[in-house]
Amino acid sequence: MRGSGKYLPIVPVLAAYALLLLYGLAAPGKWQLVAQLAFYCALGQAFNLFMGMTGYVDFGYVAFLGVGTYGMAVTISSLSDGGLGLGIILIGFLAAAVFSTILAMAVGAVALRLRGAYFAIATIGVNEGFRYLIEGARIWNGADGIIFSRHLKTALGRKMAMTVSTFWADIFVFGVAVLAAVLTLYYLRNKVGYALLALREDEDAAKVMGIDVTRYKIIAFITSAALAGLLGASGWALKLTYVYPPDVFEIHYTVEAIIIVLLGGAGTLMGPIAGGLIYGVSKYFLAITLPGFQLLIFAPIIIAIIVIFPEGLVGILKGKVHGTSLEKFVI
Amino acid sequence: MPLLKCEHVSKRFGGMVAVDDVSFEIMSGELMAIVGPNGAGKTTMFNLINGVFLPDEGHIWFAGVDVTRFPSYKRAHLGMGRTFQIPRPFASATVQENIAIGAMFGAAGGELNVEEAMEVADEYIDLIGLKAHRNKPAGGLTPIEKKLVEIARALAMKPRLLLMDEAMAGMNPKDIDQMVTFIRHIRDVEGIAVVAMVEHIMRAVAGLAERVMVMHQGAKLVDEPTREALNDPRVIEVYLGRQAEEFNAKG
Repeated sequence: MRGSGKYLPIVPVLAAYALLLLYGLAAPGKWQLVAQLAFYCALGQAFNLFMGMTGYVDFGYVAFLGVGTYGMAVTISSLSDGGLGLGIILIGFLAAAVFSTILAMAVGAVALRLRGAYFAIATIGVNEGFRYLIEGARIWNGADGIIFSRHLKTALGRKMAMTVSTFWADIFVFGVAVLAAVLTLYYLRNKVGYALLALREDEDAAKVMGIDVTRYKIIAFITSAALAGLLGASGWALKLTYVYPPDVFEIHYTVEAIIIVLLGGAGTLMGPIAGGLIYGVSKYFLAITLPGFQLLIFAPIIIAIIVIFPEGLVGILKGKVHGTSLEKFVI
Repeated sequence: MPLLKCEHVSKRFGGMVAVDDVSFEIMSGELMAIVGPNGAGKTTMFNLINGVFLPDEGHIWFAGVDVTRFPSYKRAHLGMGRTFQIPRPFASATVQENIAIGAMFGAAGGELNVEEAMEVADEYIDLIGLKAHRNKPAGGLTPIEKKLVEIARALAMKPRLLLMDEAMAGMNPKDIDQMVTFIRHIRDVEGIAVVAMVEHIMRAVAGLAERVMVMHQGAKLVDEPTREALNDPRVIEVYLGRQAEEFNAKG
């Protein structure tokens, strides 16, 4: 893979997101479904950047979405009188990225010294721990959370605030998904990606080859966490205009991220899109057709898919197009 | 100045002394074998040189730098390459990518980008004669092909010292002879020092090494030119026991 063709796989990614967006804009009453699907794709794409590329499973991942949500909420609730206009949203995103990066550095400094399953165990408590820290120490309004719909109206005006939370918040989710995909492809095509591939396959051999594995793990971890922060800031904070600790530190979302990545194909570029769409659509229809039973039906389906297709859908697709002209589009 | 210098190096695991006060040197371009029966401490010695373990006592210098506390990746940057007893190529990566990873991050690394590393990889694919497998995942190769990929990957790092862990275990005599020729060839072409670790294949030691260090129970037993080492009564005793040595002396 040389020269100009090496970033071609972004084409199907952009096409997929454009089609999804167009469908949402054109089909009446489907915007919420599309927004939910975009959220799952973005979640998978951001999570894949660490889990898929390093093989490390972070069970506390939702904490990064949570602090990102707080980044936006704290910014808007405290700066709404500053006359910043739409700039306040930009500052909110910056705060979200900074908050999640700081948390990632703190968690990573301890947990990334551990290997494989030990890392997973060490991260399990991060989200719950952070939730109880916020509630117990009464940080950011403690267990009461932050309701900032009023502040958003003060900052942007009633009409704009409404448009931001019903429309632009979802568009920003698409933006996070595309940004995550671009970063994934950039990593895959550069030395970072090869370092991550090597450490995922065999960490000891990677070290012997001259790879500073800790450094590359931290790069992937922080990138993935910052994207999660942006996703929380858009898909949760701006969309709902409130943040409430039990909602944003719920381990359920980490589990969804793991399912999406495994369904689609860990470490691939297209995988999280395939996984996010399949997961989101099936969850939507199962909730309509079999309300209350969706998880009971869904669990065995997921187990079956993962047992039968351990490489995920895109992993299989990669095998199928190997040696054909489509190969350069699929990674 | 020696390329590698180990001075009074010891490593203990609990109460077991795996490497016991070993000192030796390797000069640039030298072909040396570390031999010894199973459990003699060879692998631990390798891991100490390579930075997989840090020694409890003693010092290691490589290329004029005290690397005693260096992690393996820093030693790799100074020019130390290694292959493993059971080849460990990155299974999902292609042959070309495997070798390119060596070029990207090894001693020549830092300067090479992905495209340049891929070109370097192609040179080494030619050297090991695996052109037909260039774009295949390394996980699907035969054991000997994997071994060759691993050697190429280590060579692509542009090492000054190549550590080969049991490079010839499990091979038939014909393959051993080919591998010995190949290793001597790369030493001559690349001008690097090679330290091969061999458990018991004396055919390989005799053909390959100019100098042999024999280890026994964690300590250095002898360190001398290959011919002398292989006929040394102490070495024969370690391998075959005293009776064999007497048998040898009689005829």
